[in-house]
Amino acid sequence: MALIECRALTRKYTRGESIITPLDGLDLDVEAGDFLALMGPSGSGKTTLLNLIAGIDRPSAGTLRIGGTEIGTLSRGRLADWRSESVGYIFQLYNLVPVLTAYENIELPLLLHPLSRRQRHEKVATALALVGIADRSGHYPRQLSGGQEQRVAIARAIVTDPGILVADEPTGDLDRASAAAIMDLLKQLNSELGKTIIMVTHDPKSADHARRTLHLEKGRLIEQTTAAAH
Amino acid sequence: MLGIRYIPLLFKQVSRQRARTLLTVLGVATAMFLFISVQALEQGVTAATVATGKETTLVVYRQNRFCPFASRLPESYTARVGRIEGVASVVPMKIVVTNCGASLDVVTFRGVPSENYDVVAAKFTFLSGSMAEWQRRSDGAILGEDLANRRRLKVGDTLVAAGITAYVAAVIRSDEAQDQNVAYVGLKFLQNAAVRGGDGIVTQFNVKVHDPAHLERVAAAIDEEFRHDPEPTDTRPEKAFVARAAHDLVQIVGFTRYLGWAALATVLALVSNAIVLSVQDRVKEHAILQTLGFRGGLIARLIMAEGVLLGVTGGVLGSVAAFAVVYFGKFSLSVEGTTVGVHGDPSLLLLGLALSAGVGVVAGLVPALQASRREIAASFRAV
Repeated sequence: MALIECRALTRKYTRGESIITPLDGLDLDVEAGDFLALMGPSGSGKTTLLNLIAGIDRPSAGTLRIGGTEIGTLSRGRLADWRSESVGYIFQLYNLVPVLTAYENIELPLLLHPLSRRQRHEKVATALALVGIADRSGHYPRQLSGGQEQRVAIARAIVTDPGILVADEPTGDLDRASAAAIMDLLKQLNSELGKTIIMVTHDPKSADHARRTLHLEKGRLIEQTTAAAH
Repeated sequence: MLGIRYIPLLFKQVSRQRARTLLTVLGVATAMFLFISVQALEQGVTAATVATGKETTLVVYRQNRFCPFASRLPESYTARVGRIEGVASVVPMKIVVTNCGASLDVVTFRGVPSENYDVVAAKFTFLSGSMAEWQRRSDGAILGEDLANRRRLKVGDTLVAAGITAYVAAVIRSDEAQDQNVAYVGLKFLQNAAVRGGDGIVTQFNVKVHDPAHLERVAAAIDEEFRHDPEPTDTRPEKAFVARAAHDLVQIVGFTRYLGWAALATVLALVSNAIVLSVQDRVKEHAILQTLGFRGGLIARLIMAEGVLLGVTGGVLGSVAAFAVVYFGKFSLSVEGTTVGVHGDPSLLLLGLALSAGVGVVAGLVPALQASRREIAASFRAV
């Protein structure tokens, strides 16, 4: 059984008098340990699909099962708990809390878990070391480069050890060298730690790091490509 | 409730807009200062005018007179009052005040006969000087602590007021606001020194009864005794007497209660404004926290805790400042020879703390609920 199962997945918004359907009856299976890139033009439904899988949006129709849980039917509170345990979200613009240091930003998701201060410290230190910015733990986001901020964001996403990572154009705001380094890091998380990664990107070079690439258009899946050798 | 591990996050959120936070806290402190000051005034009025059922003191005054200058009773009434059933003691007293109207610095002289010194002084705690020193000098005065502090007088100094010059023989402390703010002198000395009234004339009689339950009956008996005399009397329990004498003052203090509640409303508006602005600034940040798994309820509690922190910080500053001013200022309001002390009861600090925390919760409630119910994806789209 696939880790993520989408069946006739649909999302509709009402904006003014018009109804927008960014995702329209999508069927998709994602196996555990997969690295999936979602590509397509703006408005094709990539980010909507990502948000649904991350549990920060709800489907209008269809089903979405993740790890055997139908997340569309969970209450707001249960869904929050599920996000805390099962998924890490990496944003294009990092979305770190500006008044917290890198350490404190990474510690944030751990506050929701029954851990001692020492246990939290150990997990944050491990995540910082994994993303290679242990020496920047006391820095505030404004004191970090874009690449470093994104590493902090990745550390925050993995610190609770979720099975799934979703990334919304994680290299979209970075220079070429930083983007390549971030993609190497994501690939490492996929291959060495077995994280299932679903990534939205416009960049074919970034998509090359994925095992599979899905092309969406007008809320529908139009093409799927698999990397020849991974 | 909020787990202790969220406290550093709470402090960082509150301190992120330092100027706004500082102005809010200062505003809350000022408003709470006003509120607690008004409460202290009200406590003083209550203590001076509201009967507890344990009072044993009556004040006998000249009927239809409302000022010490106008109340003139023969000293010879003393013996007749003393014979009335239920009376424990009678102290004829001449009152001379520097000002008959309401004032923050009225000096009230109370003249008592030498044979009643022990009765009057029985409830005093001598802070300096002695009873012997008072009795030794004909112009000796015992000053209440508040009057001595207000006039910066100590034993050996001279008190000059209302054309009377007295030697400070002792400074005392008493539970009664009336005693804390007067100068006790010998009756003969005061009768001679005062411009109006002379030998054999007093302003009032302070009468102690054996049983508080018989206070009204004894008062009626005294007035009946002198009903057909040239100088009829009006006898009331001491607190009722103060309430009548300070009637205008009590009404003014009653009005200040509205100022107090207005100050509390100001606190609510200030904290609400700060929280609403803060929450509007952080729509995206709350969406991020929700993405990380923070439940809406937790975010709501964090926001309300910010309100409580702002309210309590300002509330503590304002309450402590007001309490310090009231406690060390030893203020009292005197009118027609009676005194209403402005009390600095420590319970006011608890009241200020509880109210500012409560106002903080209420101020944060609506923005907290709004933030907790916002859809995450919609929040990201909105910013």
